[in-house]
Amino acid sequence: MKWTEDRSLVLSQICLGLFALLLAALDIGCYWAVGWFISLRNMPWQNGAALMAVIYLCSVFGWLLLNKLWGLLRNMKKGVVFAEENVRRLRCVSWCCAGAAAVCLLGCAFYLPLLFLSMAAGFMALIVRIVKNVFQQAAAMKSELDFTV
Amino acid sequence: MEIQVNLDVMMARRKISGGELAEKIGITPANLSILKNNKAKAIRFSTLMALCHELGCQPGDLLEFIDDEPEKGG
Repeated sequence: MKWTEDRSLVLSQICLGLFALLLAALDIGCYWAVGWFISLRNMPWQNGAALMAVIYLCSVFGWLLLNKLWGLLRNMKKGVVFAEENVRRLRCVSWCCAGAAAVCLLGCAFYLPLLFLSMAAGFMALIVRIVKNVFQQAAAMKSELDFTV
Repeated sequence: MEIQVNLDVMMARRKISGGELAEKIGITPANLSILKNNKAKAIRFSTLMALCHELGCQPGDLLEFIDDEPEKGG
């Protein structure tokens, strides 16, 4: 089977859909999952409540991020790649990662291993930000090329 | 501070339409319109050469430097 760019984009969209399903499952089952987790670790219920707050706050960033990534893939499918619209989307994705990192960092006060999640999200924010900068430069170059007669 | 393209002036002098000129120099009418309306960010030497050849003029007749910034004191 010949692997084409279109199929690769479809695969990315399927993966995005799967992540959306996982996030929805986490949102719905958060109460029970956290209940099971705190009973497993013998944690006080206050820590469980804080963990739930962290999960729901990160979920807000997660949904926003998935929405922006979906828009980015849709634009790429249309052939619109290096555009100002996509730069804005990537900027938003980067801030979503940074937001999740900040929330997880606050959550460290109740559950220390969240520090690793915070670092991972922060690192991801940095990577996406650099990709955003690359897109920004490419969009400016494309605009110049489009208006070269 | 900008480079102004005086293509419309030269076209009027030579009495040539946009479509005709675009066809003669081998660019699309849309691109010629970009050039004519000062929307272009760059112009290729090959395009400038073709324009000068068709319109029988010099690059300086088509391009004009507009300096609207206040002069530096000194």
